[in-house]
Amino acid sequence: MSGAGARESVFPTRQVLGQMKSKLKGAQTGHDLLKRKSEALTNAISEITRRIDEAKRKMGRVMQIAAFSLAEVTYAVGGGNILYQIQESAKQARFRVRTKQENVSGVFLPAFESFTTEGNNDFGLTGLGKGGQQVQRCRETYARAVETLVELASLQTAFVILDEVIKVVNRRVNAIEHVIIPKTENTIKYINSELDELDREEFYRLKKVSNKKERDAAAADIEREAQKKKDDSSNEEDVDEEGRMQMKDLLGDQDNEDVIF
Amino acid sequence: MGAHMPRQLEDHLLTRRSYIEGIVRGYRNSLLTSQAYSNLTQCETIDDVKLQLGPAYGDFLAALPPNPSTSALANKLTEKLVSEFRYLQANATGSLAKFMEYLTYGYMIDNVALLITGTLHERDTRELLERCHPLGWFETMPVLCVATNIEELYNSVLIETPLAPYFKGSLSHQDLDELNIEIVRNTLYKNYLEDFHNWVNTNPDVRGTPTAEVMSEVLEFEADRRSINITLNSFGTELSKADRKKLYPNFGRLHPEGTLMLSRADDVEGVRIAVEGVSDYKTFFDQTGLNQGGGSAVGNMSGGAGGEGKSLEDMFYQKECEISKLAFTRQFTHAVVYAWVKLREQEIRNITWIAECIAQNQKERIGNYISVF
Repeated sequence: MSGAGARESVFPTRQVLGQMKSKLKGAQTGHDLLKRKSEALTNAISEITRRIDEAKRKMGRVMQIAAFSLAEVTYAVGGGNILYQIQESAKQARFRVRTKQENVSGVFLPAFESFTTEGNNDFGLTGLGKGGQQVQRCRETYARAVETLVELASLQTAFVILDEVIKVVNRRVNAIEHVIIPKTENTIKYINSELDELDREEFYRLKKVSNKKERDAAAADIEREAQKKKDDSSNEEDVDEEGRMQMKDLLGDQDNEDVIF
Repeated sequence: MGAHMPRQLEDHLLTRRSYIEGIVRGYRNSLLTSQAYSNLTQCETIDDVKLQLGPAYGDFLAALPPNPSTSALANKLTEKLVSEFRYLQANATGSLAKFMEYLTYGYMIDNVALLITGTLHERDTRELLERCHPLGWFETMPVLCVATNIEELYNSVLIETPLAPYFKGSLSHQDLDELNIEIVRNTLYKNYLEDFHNWVNTNPDVRGTPTAEVMSEVLEFEADRRSINITLNSFGTELSKADRKKLYPNFGRLHPEGTLMLSRADDVEGVRIAVEGVSDYKTFFDQTGLNQGGGSAVGNMSGGAGGEGKSLEDMFYQKECEISKLAFTRQFTHAVVYAWVKLREQEIRNITWIAECIAQNQKERIGNYISVF
């Protein structure tokens, strides 16, 4: 068989060969496209990795500041009960998150977007007697911290999804490169060799046929020769008596019938 | 002591009171000094802090696990304050006993406010009992947890607590439901301050003594501080000026002109003008640089510029500590108890702050504590 590799089980015909050729062409185009997509995604993911790194460092700083501002609140208020009071008086979420989709090389990535609802100040009066400013400032610091967290969450989600997609794309690229293209090529080779074989058979057959024909023709020639010879000899016997006839038939076309108009 | 008292009894009473005063002065001497604080700020871990506090707090810190959280540390420190306070309270008689009771009312107000919050949000208030400040604990407090709605709570507060007079006349049970808990708390506090002020100036045992003198100053300062803070903190909230005015105590060095102006203030500048009549507060405002219109510098330790940029609240705490320190220069007065409690509270705050700075590795602001000795 042509090539040791696997091939598709097809009938080796010219039509299938055409199909296979176009399939190979398609596979190569697809391979190129996917390769490019994979590269684009890899770029995107390395960008995201960089941003995650940044966001994580930022989060570290912001959370530290936030925790410290909480310490300031405790210092100013002089007790932990303020926390309970704040927990209880928060009724509505002030800081909210909405999602939207971003398209990176045909991959939909959810992106979280944070926003604060205006005019929602559930514990604006907390710490009225003392420490109110600190409470408010602490809240702002934590709002910033949560913002960073949301950003980070958005990036992490994108990272996970992109990672998955890149894996799939790379798998496809590899599959096309290492399985589909060789297989199709093998099939084409196989079909070609089969077709060649058929050609050779055909050629051989034709040759056989022509040989036979030649042989037949040769036999026929010999026969005709023999006949001629026989005719000649009979003519010689009749030379005398037929000298006249020979004279008469000067043109030698006694075989020919006289043309009678 | 009246002249009609037998000499013997008077001596006896003086001895009783001197005993307590002696104890308090002893307690005062165990307060951390600047030297001790600067040692504390050198610590690298909470364990070091614990070690440094060993001489002053000894037994109370023994039960703490290695590297305790700052809140656990603060709890232990408060425990010591409470146990010492309880000891004094057990030995106190007559007007001092009443005086010390008055001291606890402030904490009671906080506790009751906490329970009201819990009841309003239909939480199990029993869980809140352990969150209550131990100094504000009163025997009938668990009874308040029986109340399931705000009306019941209101009635039991009226019946069971010493705070009843502060509720009566200024708050109804609907108010508890509708008003913000902070307004309730500050209304109570205002009534409490007024009552306390009134008591030190009218009680026959206290009137005209150094106690009345010192305590008037302290309470007036406290009243002014609250008025100023409330005004500053209410900017940008839904608290109306009329409601705000109701929260100002009706005495103090700012009263009445200053508070009137405070009630009309729209911004920090307005507050500054309102307090200009009192040189102390004017100095505070000048030092914090608020007159340049930096509204953000009101909170404590703002600016991040290290120790030099003291905030208004820092100034107030500083002033409170100085007044308290001066109280110890007087003889035969209840005010030393108050002063000691305040200084001790500041000390706990300081230690917590230092511990927090160490725990969070934010050493650059560690010097923001207030030390007067």
